[in-house]
Amino acid sequence: MPELPRKKVGLVSCSGEEMPEGTITRLATRKVLETLRPGETVTICLPLFLAGGEGERSFTRCYPTITIDGCEKRCAAKGTEQLSSKPAVSIVVAELSGAPRGFGTARRLNDAGMEAVKTVAEIIAKNVDRLLSKNPGDREREV
Amino acid sequence: MAYEAGGQFELTIDKFTFRFPNDLKYSEAGIWIGREGSRFRLGLSDFAQQRNGDVAFINLPLPGAELKAGDELASIETVKVNLSLPSPVMGKILEVNAIVQEAPELINLEPYNRGWMVIMQAEDLEWENSKLFNAETYAALAKEQAETDLKS
Amino acid sequence: MTQKKVWIVPCSGIGKTYGSVARESAFIITEDLRPEKTQIMPLARLVPDDSDVRPEIRHASSIAIDGCKLSCAASVVAAAGATVIHALQVLDVYREHPDLKPAGIAGLNEGGQKLAAVLAEKVAALVDAMEEKHNA
Repeated sequence: MPELPRKKVGLVSCSGEEMPEGTITRLATRKVLETLRPGETVTICLPLFLAGGEGERSFTRCYPTITIDGCEKRCAAKGTEQLSSKPAVSIVVAELSGAPRGFGTARRLNDAGMEAVKTVAEIIAKNVDRLLSKNPGDREREV
Repeated sequence: MAYEAGGQFELTIDKFTFRFPNDLKYSEAGIWIGREGSRFRLGLSDFAQQRNGDVAFINLPLPGAELKAGDELASIETVKVNLSLPSPVMGKILEVNAIVQEAPELINLEPYNRGWMVIMQAEDLEWENSKLFNAETYAALAKEQAETDLKS
Repeated sequence: MTQKKVWIVPCSGIGKTYGSVARESAFIITEDLRPEKTQIMPLARLVPDDSDVRPEIRHASSIAIDGCKLSCAASVVAAAGATVIHALQVLDVYREHPDLKPAGIAGLNEGGQKLAAVLAEKVAALVDAMEEKHNA
């Protein structure tokens, strides 16, 4: 059992290459890790997780996770649940209410796509805050 | 050799687990050293290899080279760093690992087994009284370094 | 008999720049170099119960592009039951081209972009060789 000195949240993004929403998940996750919530989040490498990476799987068993998927296939959420434990929060970019369409391509996001990265990053960050909140009532209410 | 068979210290920070076999000693720069009779085998610790990233290139000394403590034992290049690794001891290089020169990724994949770097003769090294760290002490140092890295 | 498209499966690891190079090279192959012969298969879609992909897996020929020697894409593709015809690692291609040092994960630097292009050309040649063999 690993030492758990400080609670952090694991972020699992699908990084799917078939549609721009997959790229949005990747960039939004990096933004949260590097800028919005550094020191409070850890990215879980999904390929390594799927391939059996014990560090990635142990972490997701011991800490809360947020999965960020591009589409309704929810590959990251399903993989996390099947191989470790159910994510605390599952975000699906394509299902976000009011999400405009036309983000560019998976390879190159357009301006709307880059705006979506910011929006999704903020949603992830708010959920990180909620999961790390000392107030149990906050933890129950998904953002 | 099977250094991990003698038990090891483990340190987990976030999703990273670092291993420190008890039979080895360690330098602050992250070199491990194992005693094999009158010879010493050296490599890069699990903590140092994870911290520095995938080794793309390595330069090792030639057999016969005489090193003082602090002289460059090896240099590695990863996408993150170009690192000169100082020898923790004075001695003569008896053997270099030709396999790791062809496949430097062994330093990352098997830091305490096939990823060893050199074998040295170090006649002046007093194993029990050396300034090298044991596994527990080095693990504590690694923890400090890792926590500093995470804050930066 | 028309050959099915070759699956190009990048690891797209999010923790290292190599993952971004693998991802970019997959785009170059499937969009620029060999769009009629290849398709990207996102690694995460190969989890066991994706019913869209499962019928195709047994017949799929894949080229796995991994960032590093952990070879996650190659192992996941093989475990899913698809055939890995070739497995490449970005790290190996970087060793052949040390002047193209990649950096960045969210955004690749120029070295990374060029490395991805070099890797993509290698994969394109492999795809062509696979087609020749199939037609022979």
